[in-house]
Amino acid sequence: MALRDLVMGGGGCAVPGTSSSANPLGGLAETLFGSASKTQERLQELPALPGLEEPSAIELAPSHYLPGLEYEPQIGHQSNGQVSEFLRGFHGPDYHSYQDAWKESGAPMPLQPQLHENAPPMFSEFERIYSQETGAFHPPMGGPSQPVLSGFLRSFFDSRQSEVPFHPVAPPQLGLSDGDKLRIRNRSSVMVHHVFADKGQQYAEAQVNALLHSLDIEPDLKTMGPQHGHHSELEEYWNDAHAGRISAMQKGRFVDNSDHWATEFSQRREDVRDPENWHQEFQQQHGNDWVNQFTEQQVSTRNLGRDLEAEQHLTREQSRIMAETLAQNPDPKFQNSKFLQFVSKMSRGDLILEDNQVKPNKADWADEFGKTNENWAAEFTAGEHAHRGDNWAEEFSQIGTSTAENDGWVDEFAKLNVKDWTEEFENQFSSTREDADGNWLDSYEKFVEEQVKGEQNLPSSSKWAYMFADQNPYMGHANPLKEGQELFRRGLLSEAVLALEAEVMKNPDNAEGWRLLGITHAENDDDKQSIASMVRARDAEPTNIEVLLSLGVSHTNELEQREALKYLRSWLQHHPRYNGLIPGDQVSGLNHAEVTHLFHEAARMAPVDADVHTVLGVLYNLSREYDRAIEAFQTALQLKPKDYSLWNKLGATLANSARSADALHAYQEALDQKPNYVRAWSNMGISYANQGRYEESVRYYVRALCMNPKAENAWQYLRISLSISGRGDLVDACDKRDLDLLQQEYPL
Amino acid sequence: MATKIDSELKSAAIFQQMQQHLQSDAGKDVLNKVGLVYQMVIAPKKLGKDEETFVVDLKKGKVYKGAFEGKPDATFSFVDDDFVAVSSGKLNPQMAFIRGKMKVKGSMSAAQKFTPDIFPKPAKL
Repeated sequence: MALRDLVMGGGGCAVPGTSSSANPLGGLAETLFGSASKTQERLQELPALPGLEEPSAIELAPSHYLPGLEYEPQIGHQSNGQVSEFLRGFHGPDYHSYQDAWKESGAPMPLQPQLHENAPPMFSEFERIYSQETGAFHPPMGGPSQPVLSGFLRSFFDSRQSEVPFHPVAPPQLGLSDGDKLRIRNRSSVMVHHVFADKGQQYAEAQVNALLHSLDIEPDLKTMGPQHGHHSELEEYWNDAHAGRISAMQKGRFVDNSDHWATEFSQRREDVRDPENWHQEFQQQHGNDWVNQFTEQQVSTRNLGRDLEAEQHLTREQSRIMAETLAQNPDPKFQNSKFLQFVSKMSRGDLILEDNQVKPNKADWADEFGKTNENWAAEFTAGEHAHRGDNWAEEFSQIGTSTAENDGWVDEFAKLNVKDWTEEFENQFSSTREDADGNWLDSYEKFVEEQVKGEQNLPSSSKWAYMFADQNPYMGHANPLKEGQELFRRGLLSEAVLALEAEVMKNPDNAEGWRLLGITHAENDDDKQSIASMVRARDAEPTNIEVLLSLGVSHTNELEQREALKYLRSWLQHHPRYNGLIPGDQVSGLNHAEVTHLFHEAARMAPVDADVHTVLGVLYNLSREYDRAIEAFQTALQLKPKDYSLWNKLGATLANSARSADALHAYQEALDQKPNYVRAWSNMGISYANQGRYEESVRYYVRALCMNPKAENAWQYLRISLSISGRGDLVDACDKRDLDLLQQEYPL
Repeated sequence: MATKIDSELKSAAIFQQMQQHLQSDAGKDVLNKVGLVYQMVIAPKKLGKDEETFVVDLKKGKVYKGAFEGKPDATFSFVDDDFVAVSSGKLNPQMAFIRGKMKVKGSMSAAQKFTPDIFPKPAKL
């Protein structure tokens, strides 16, 4: 895609009465946001009010009014007919060609226009926009009310000339629909701020209120009739845009591009239809001189390739005039803009246009400008990350909506947004040399990277984030903690999880709630959730040694040596009996051997403390010294034979040192004491599988999964066992989590 | 019998357990079924960085740290977590290969026999 497409706009002109000039931003926006094939449809829905145009204000720009217009005829001949036709109609000195163009558009003529010498150009511009819009987009309103309404509105605007406040005379019943009313309200609100800009806002509001009252329109009328359902939102966009433009013009700023672009953008985002109307639309919104200049330049560049030399000369000439025009703009921001520099350069011949590409005669930035924008646009066109744009537009529409409800929204909008937007816009698009584009690209790349990373690292960034169940019947329970404790005691682990989740949602700082939830998850064979719970428990109560031990065990299961060692160290550090063994500030530096040594010290101090032996068993599991681990757990079990979790730990250690047959006995002990100990059931399955007894392992996995369908590891192991034991037919059931079928096939 | 595998990698725990597992009856079935030598190159975080090499000799039933003397039937490269995922059945080897999480050197037919069931499953404390 060439720079020309971006800056000059790529679309052609097909509709008389419109311009072929998509302006630079329009072209860019179009390029960015993909096919504009839906523009027309949408734009046709844009509100317009037939009959509102004030004929006396329609003013045709005289030729001297537009610098560079002297090129028009030759441009017209060289370019396609429609363009020249339009240009003549639009800018031409005689009214008749305008009239012709108007008729061509198939629309009825507005009321006979008169040249209004003392009307300010901006005002006439404004009127022209509306009159064009009416002609281009809307069938006549029909019915007798149009002339009445026109006359009425004319008298309203005449009140400006006569310097007399508008005193409404009750008009005949017009039978305006709600949609019409809303349009009138919105239009007149916008116009009145413009027309009476010199008289202050209050006056303007009083005027418009008088008008609305006389037409029996509620000032706060907001919704359209059902037949126009979705118009209102669009209308707001529309009005926002106009508000921005008007205030920008009032301030003499050259800023309307940005907000118009955004308007177009948000409209387009909605559901837009046809590029031609889009261009048309765009042109209508751009009545300023420089845009006309630009149009011509664009027209001239159209001829590239036909007569390159003449073309470049012409371009240069155009650019020179344009640069001059631009340079006359007193706004310092604009004076500094890179666009002006760009045009100046072009006029000096530093840059030439060739094959639709801007080529620097001296080399460098313009080319870069073209390329970077091209890439950017291409990437956007690919649509992959278009939602970034969506957000932006949403933001815009939010701002728009909120201000639109306000009576003083016009001014507010201008104050709030336009300036920032302009700056942002200029930063992004104009200051290539200051690497603003580069920055943008960089951050875009970062964003893409983040996206990619986000996918990959999602588990690790949210690794220990607790995942609550979607639906929880215990929400709203009077005492979920007590309920959870009771369910846990009865061995209904998955139910207990729900009750305890309800508890910790109610009381997020309840250490006991989180701790028991963590224990429950561990017994339910879900170490990740267990860790997540225990981390929260530790946050609430950093010195709880049960929590620290549980974290040490779970991290050992997850093969995370460093974390496991850290928690086992702090177990010792926070144990009231053993914390004297080491000074607190040295704890974090201790390695596995040193920590193990300290625990042996502790065991000598208190040989009958089963917990110390338990931690030693975990430590030896961590260092994969399974024989010593088995010894430690056996010692602990002599002291605490009724601890089912100890039996499981012993079993797991035996299994991990390839003594699966012995492990089964230990697991059986654990299950005798706690029949619903999911972890032990799952471990039984693993032991059978590791012994090559896959069919049997399936039964245990299925049993475990019936009690906790969320035990991911068990599902994976079940799948392996099924495929190896020749039950590939059930792998599908496994993938579909079809426990009923699996249970049927493998009852235990 | 068992020699300690000295490594901080998670994978090392799997290899350590495998060492003993291959002595068991189920382990011997694996040797009969596969009968190949795999060399595993495991990186802690990023492929090609700080890699450690292990040998899973399913001919002789040996697992140890270091390079294989001779030519292994296939060499696999993994990031630590990905190897753990593959060995536990969380990630199937084909998918790992397609996603670029597993690099293979050597005979393709040898690589195809590399399935999660050759690894023992760790029990949970």
